[in-house]
Amino acid sequence: MPTVKRSPRQFAEFLYLLARQELKARYKGRFLGYVWALAYTFALAFVYWIAFKIIMRLDMPNYSVYLIAGMFPWAWLSVGVTSATRSFVVNAPLIKEMGLAHAILPLSNVVQEMVHFILALPAVIAWVVLAGGYDAAVSWLWQIPLMLALQVAFVYPLALAFALINVHVRDTEPLLGIGFPLLFFATPMVYPISIVPEPLHQYFELNPFHALMESWRSLFMAGALDLPHIAYAAGFALAAGAVTWLLYRKLAPRVGELV
Amino acid sequence: MTHAVLCEDLWKTYQRHRPLGVKSLLLGADPPRDTRFAREWALSELGFQVPRGRSFGVIGPNGSGKTTLLSILLGTVKEDRGRVSLSGRVASLLELGAGFHGDLTGRENVFLYGSILGMRLAEIRRRFENIAEFSELERAIEQPLRTYSAGMIARLGFSIIIHSAADILLIDEVLAVGDASFQAKCHRALREFRARSGTLVIVSHNMKEVTEVCDEGICLDLGRVVDAGPMGGVAARYQERMAAAESGKIKASAHADR
Repeated sequence: MPTVKRSPRQFAEFLYLLARQELKARYKGRFLGYVWALAYTFALAFVYWIAFKIIMRLDMPNYSVYLIAGMFPWAWLSVGVTSATRSFVVNAPLIKEMGLAHAILPLSNVVQEMVHFILALPAVIAWVVLAGGYDAAVSWLWQIPLMLALQVAFVYPLALAFALINVHVRDTEPLLGIGFPLLFFATPMVYPISIVPEPLHQYFELNPFHALMESWRSLFMAGALDLPHIAYAAGFALAAGAVTWLLYRKLAPRVGELV
Repeated sequence: MTHAVLCEDLWKTYQRHRPLGVKSLLLGADPPRDTRFAREWALSELGFQVPRGRSFGVIGPNGSGKTTLLSILLGTVKEDRGRVSLSGRVASLLELGAGFHGDLTGRENVFLYGSILGMRLAEIRRRFENIAEFSELERAIEQPLRTYSAGMIARLGFSIIIHSAADILLIDEVLAVGDASFQAKCHRALREFRARSGTLVIVSHNMKEVTEVCDEGICLDLGRVVDAGPMGGVAARYQERMAAAESGKIKASAHADR
């Protein structure tokens, strides 16, 4: 029974303080902190580019843009979920003072990563336009916020679910550490779906993460909303939300004592 | 609703299975050997009421369930049977420095902790000067918390909750901290809090202090209420029981030596 009653405004303020705390730590050196935060994903994309375009001679125009447009949303997804998974365990003393295993902690992780993503957008857009030769679309002004909302709705249920499960099964954290890289390669991220043999396309299309990432790439590379994929991702988000809600009702009351 | 805090027929058990992990399968889970902590019910048949504006003490030996009780009152831990009801805003100080972040300054921690307690940012801003002044931290309030001593952290924590405009304060052994004059200040602040109809529930091992601050209270042992009533009597009888148990132990070991 929660004895700390919060209004929506207070909840939002609390979320803001939690997120700001992490952002200050991440961007400690002001500009250099910003550069380093971007550098990691760009460097990783560069490694894949060398491996697949140069060494394996993958034939795809604008491969670097394909990579970048997908890897930044992916980073938000994977770092958001893996850091949220730890959030109850790592913040055990905080939870004991909070009065309830507040679902706010995984939410702050997802929001933090969204802020990093938004801060990276200028660099991503610069790459898409300058290196890829694509046009910057005015429609991005409303399409991007829509996609941001979609990704939050998609990622948060996963984040909260794994945070709850991790309290009971502590191996969840390392398992996700293996699971996400596997998922990354199972999803068309470093290769286009076109190189997958035709009969297998349907299985790849079943992957909701593919739907989400493909929607981002369609936005950046075609300036258009990929409605079928967005609808599928939204459907998954709803289903994940429902499952997480049930999980929350069952597991949340005991987080305070198990953490 | 005349009672600020109400507990009826409270039962709580900590289930046997601990969180799973490959490590515990490999190394073997270690069941607690101490009989005090290995009992089935952490709390049994617990009931008490605290009227608004009263100060209530909870005493008892280690492992008697005091911290479990406070956790249930705060809502962190869920009771298995029974009813718990608190009316009003609750602020707690259960563990020193819990909810504080070492890398943030004292000022930033005031805002964070205030927000944890449910305060609005505007409220915290309004009260910040008072909080800073009460804590006697002076310029250290702008320093990161990891540079603070335990005493400084305790003073800051206490200062925040006493200014938090809560109706009910739950305090676990962090009753009054710092030097003698600061402690006197804390006791004065608690008296003013009670004068404003604030309700206190305090867990303490310091019999002198808990008798001074609390009107009435209960004594727990092995999860049950073994004594209740005006605090002075409860504390005195507890001390007698402990003294008798000690001398019993001394006599028994003297016998064994012979």
